[in-house]
Amino acid sequence: MRGVLLNIIDHKATPYVIMVAFAMFMLSPFIWMTLSAFKTHQETFLSPPTYFPEKPTLEAFSNAWFEAPIPTYLKNSLLTCIISTLIVIVAGAFTAFALSQFPYKGSNMVLGLFLFTRTIPPMAMLLPYYLILMKMNLLNTRTGIVLYLIYLNYPLVVWLLKGFFDSFPKDLIESAIVDGCSRTGTIFRIVVPVTATGIGAIAVVAFMWAWNEFFAPFLFLHYDELKPITVGLYYFVGDEVTYWNRMSAAGIFAVVPSLIFFLAAQKYIVKGMTAGAVKQ
Amino acid sequence: MNKTKSISNSAYGAILSIPGLVLMLAWVLVPFTYVIYLSFMRYDNMSPVVFSGFDNYMKVFTDYDFLIIVWRTITFSAGSTGFTLITSIILALCLNRMIRGSAVFRSLVVMPWAVPLILSGFLWSWMFHPAFGPISDLLMKFGVRDEALNIYKYPSTSMMGVVIADAWRRIPFLTIVTLAAFQGILQELYDASEVDGADSINNFFYITLPLASRPIMVGTLIMFMFSFRTIDVIYSMTPGGGIGKCTYVLGTYLFDHIYEILDFGKAAAISVVLIFFTFLIGAAFIYNTLRKE
Repeated sequence: MRGVLLNIIDHKATPYVIMVAFAMFMLSPFIWMTLSAFKTHQETFLSPPTYFPEKPTLEAFSNAWFEAPIPTYLKNSLLTCIISTLIVIVAGAFTAFALSQFPYKGSNMVLGLFLFTRTIPPMAMLLPYYLILMKMNLLNTRTGIVLYLIYLNYPLVVWLLKGFFDSFPKDLIESAIVDGCSRTGTIFRIVVPVTATGIGAIAVVAFMWAWNEFFAPFLFLHYDELKPITVGLYYFVGDEVTYWNRMSAAGIFAVVPSLIFFLAAQKYIVKGMTAGAVKQ
Repeated sequence: MNKTKSISNSAYGAILSIPGLVLMLAWVLVPFTYVIYLSFMRYDNMSPVVFSGFDNYMKVFTDYDFLIIVWRTITFSAGSTGFTLITSIILALCLNRMIRGSAVFRSLVVMPWAVPLILSGFLWSWMFHPAFGPISDLLMKFGVRDEALNIYKYPSTSMMGVVIADAWRRIPFLTIVTLAAFQGILQELYDASEVDGADSINNFFYITLPLASRPIMVGTLIMFMFSFRTIDVIYSMTPGGGIGKCTYVLGTYLFDHIYEILDFGKAAAISVVLIFFTFLIGAAFIYNTLRKE
């Protein structure tokens, strides 16, 4: 019995067979979304459903792009995500670098504080943020969303960057200081150039995190011209009928930007995530 | 040389990290304190805001379905985390053993990472649709079922649906973490065990799993924490909580009080309860992360 099982497990093809099955599961929503985006509205309501569009059409794409405010939603998403990511990375890099390379009395407590804030559920911060932004007259502004996205990403980014800087060779910094470079100088002349790709990967993670955010903009924004793409998907959900083909087209527009960033930075993200989130 | 060293390294570190610390205090601890303050106020958008002691907490704990909501939240997050964990280990084992094509398959299975959770909920809700979705249709075509599969008809199957949609989006992260842990194990250990006559089942249970357990543990705790507090998938897949409110969890309960019921005092109390629960999970995570090797 065990022998038969072992023969199956140890067979060269086994990982590929299992992998193909799971890859189908992981890819099925992508496949369904892509196929449906080429269908007409009527065809998405056929029962039994069709798999390949009977008459492939770009109608859903053109509707989502020209009639629904998808370009506006995408612009809002890009704007708020990029700005908040830049702020978080720049502010977080100095903190994380100090915590990693120049520890001081109490720096462990600071680190613990960052870890603790990571465990606070963003859902629980929705109400205080809503009221604070209301008092500051920042509801229904992109600035308000950027402020919230900074909260959302900051503890995570500091923690990931710290783990990343921990693996930075100390000798490099020390020899630069011996050569007469100031400590601040080493940051800009040595650390930043050497770690640029890694920092970029962490920026991609922060960007995707912000891109994914739904409830805060859903609660804080009421005007179509300010909404990000995640909230914008609700444009296609009506009281009576959902425009699945248009939503699929919009979904493709929503996924493509972060997917491109993600696949390009994948190798470094894997390194950064495992260094920061798991190993010391 | 002496000039640049006029302050010690540790003082330099403190100065360098202060701006970031201030940012965190302003952005995280201010709203955190504010929500605790709010939870002790009567703030129902009808009468003036006044101090009300533990009234809000009493209202939460005496809600007839509070315990059921907590239980559902645990079911949802445990289900999603369990499904994610098992799938991730299988995927990581396969990727780890592949000689060729590992990079391609890895890219394919981590793609859901780039999909917003809210979209994942929409897509799965549609794929599970009894009449217009492909899952029910395929099950009938292959003869697994005689009639259409309507997961939204029963509480348990509705819960399974949201668990799948949530786990689908979380598998990539844990797969990557698990794979990295597997790859960190020295090949010599496997060579030695082969000399001792161990087979691959022994190897998995006595070498692979124990040595990779800590990173997997930390990754799993992160996933559990995230599932516990995230309701995007539930919100787009079963709006209102589905049949018998079977997917109505703590997060939905909280959001309803902010968005529909407008009782901000009670919402703040629910927020604090949610923070407390996630902190229990988080404490295990922090302990595991900061513990020395």
